[in-house]
Amino acid sequence: MTKNSKHEQTYDERLDNLSEENCLLIKNKFKKLINYDFAAFLNTCVHCGLCADTCHYYIVDKNPKNIPANKLGLINKVFNRHFDLFAKITPALYGSKVLNKDMVKDWVDSLFGRCTLCGRCALNCTMGINIPYIIRAARGALAEAGLVPPGLQSTVDTAIEKGNNMGIARDDWLETIEWLEEELQDDVNDPDASLPLDKNGARLLYTINPREAMFFPLSISAAGKIFYAAGESWTFSSDNFDVTNYGLYNGDDSAAGLMSERLVESRRELGCEELILAECGHGFNSNRWEAPEWLGKKYGFPVKSILQVIADYIKEGKIRLDASRNKKRVTLHDPCNLVRLGGIIEEQRYILKHAVTDFVEMIPNREKNYCCGGGGGQLAMTRYADRRLKTGKLKADQIKATGAKIVVAPCHNCIDQLMELNKHYKLEVEIKTVAEIVAEALVI
Amino acid sequence: METVLRYGVITAFFISAVVLIYLVLKTFSFGKKSLNAVPRGNWKKGVFYAFGQGMMPWEKESAKNHLITYVAGFCYHFGIFAAVFYLLSLAIPFACGKVVINILQVLMAAGAVCGLGLLLKRSLKQFMRSLSCPDDFIANLLVDLFIVLSFLNSALMNLKPILFSVSILMLLYIPIGKIRHCFFFFYSRILFGHFFGRRGVFPRSQHQFKV
Repeated sequence: MTKNSKHEQTYDERLDNLSEENCLLIKNKFKKLINYDFAAFLNTCVHCGLCADTCHYYIVDKNPKNIPANKLGLINKVFNRHFDLFAKITPALYGSKVLNKDMVKDWVDSLFGRCTLCGRCALNCTMGINIPYIIRAARGALAEAGLVPPGLQSTVDTAIEKGNNMGIARDDWLETIEWLEEELQDDVNDPDASLPLDKNGARLLYTINPREAMFFPLSISAAGKIFYAAGESWTFSSDNFDVTNYGLYNGDDSAAGLMSERLVESRRELGCEELILAECGHGFNSNRWEAPEWLGKKYGFPVKSILQVIADYIKEGKIRLDASRNKKRVTLHDPCNLVRLGGIIEEQRYILKHAVTDFVEMIPNREKNYCCGGGGGQLAMTRYADRRLKTGKLKADQIKATGAKIVVAPCHNCIDQLMELNKHYKLEVEIKTVAEIVAEALVI
Repeated sequence: METVLRYGVITAFFISAVVLIYLVLKTFSFGKKSLNAVPRGNWKKGVFYAFGQGMMPWEKESAKNHLITYVAGFCYHFGIFAAVFYLLSLAIPFACGKVVINILQVLMAAGAVCGLGLLLKRSLKQFMRSLSCPDDFIANLLVDLFIVLSFLNSALMNLKPILFSVSILMLLYIPIGKIRHCFFFFYSRILFGHFFGRRGVFPRSQHQFKV
């Protein structure tokens, strides 16, 4: 299969026509992506099965393929067969398998189609195996052979080519900010209120999920209003404003690094002190935790979530909130990449405590939360849409149990999934970002 | 014959240890992951958590929801440790008091029952069979046999030649199959604690925002 023919064939045809050369390519890339952490983990799984019903896929569908240990097992079988001395001699003893066309198909189905990389299995693993990161490495190996499911890959490609994952043209972005600025001025009754663009020397560089500009402009206005109320020195970049990084999901470190590097460069060019990430779970994990590793360098500046900034504003008295403006019952969804894998756990609760009168937790919550089902690139991979909606039932049931009228989700990926769940499972709730809730409670 | 087997046990123990160390060192050949992101939490506290609170049923849903398996796992491993200690007392040899032997016997008996119970679970439950390979059954059987023989030798009859023979087999099998997790468990839990500790996921490092 040549690089050109890759584009001429459909994805399924490519899988069907996979050559030994492709399998070798995947195997070699996989070896490169394995570090000593992963090698240790792959020597550790004892197949105890305790991870099974910690995974939202297995909870709603008892197909053994959905058991995290079986997903890891697919990788382990290949690892053993190719890189373990004893398994090379007696593969049958371990069920080891060569990475051939059939195994690649199994990898694609399970590692892309049955996992949101949410990390709940890792938290509950008897051994502490970081399963999602090993699955991500295997996804990266598949990416090497062009075997990332099309929707996910095209999201990465668009971000690389156009500068943001929605392909928003620069003029459209500037125009959006212009009219949102006018709205803000009307809202706060101040003609000097602004949504600054390319303001040199601003303290904060703020980034957004491009879906906000396309479909959810209110969350941009909300952030702008909060910055305005706090008297913050901040700016957007006119060129690099995309916080998302689907390279986290397709496993392609070089593409992921390229996307994160753009934000780093914009911050440097504008002379901002801090890089502030919008409410986006995977964007936070990517840019806060993973990008310095992808880029192989330490950042000399803080990278924060907007939630940390807002919580600080409240704590320092920079903004005042009137919780009585949000009287409906509110519950909070914990995005996996922000909370379990990102460490931002209490800030959003602190904010909501000050911004609403009736806050109720889902059970379980915080790092023990259930994934909404939309992570791991699932929203972009339409071929697995049925599974995604089915696994979302768990989150839908959690929401129903709270009796909340508003679900706050500090992640636009999660919001998209929750909106679908809202419709599909007839939840009849409103779904908002934390910033939107805060903006409604702001006393200016 | 018994003396030869006794030395065989000691030799197998060292071979096993050397191969396990080799396996650990081999993992290093896969390269180190860089850690450039500024930590938010304390990795040492994370590792401490991973070996303590992080393994408790009230913290870990998988343990809480499968309490019988979890307890059986603990008993099984205590039984193994007791049997290994007993084996060493025979192989080195050194004398154990009656009380110590009695404690070891209780642990070994409980361990043997739990080990066989876990083997039964693996054999009977469909989802467990889907996870298993021959190594899972062989490893479990070998260890169960080792504990049972250790218990019988200590409590009822002289089975040293058989016990030593099975022990040699088990010790040599440790690095080959899944029993190698006796070494890698600690390695993995450290990495686990390190990962989540650095990120401030646990133990929770954001007390300033506690509500």
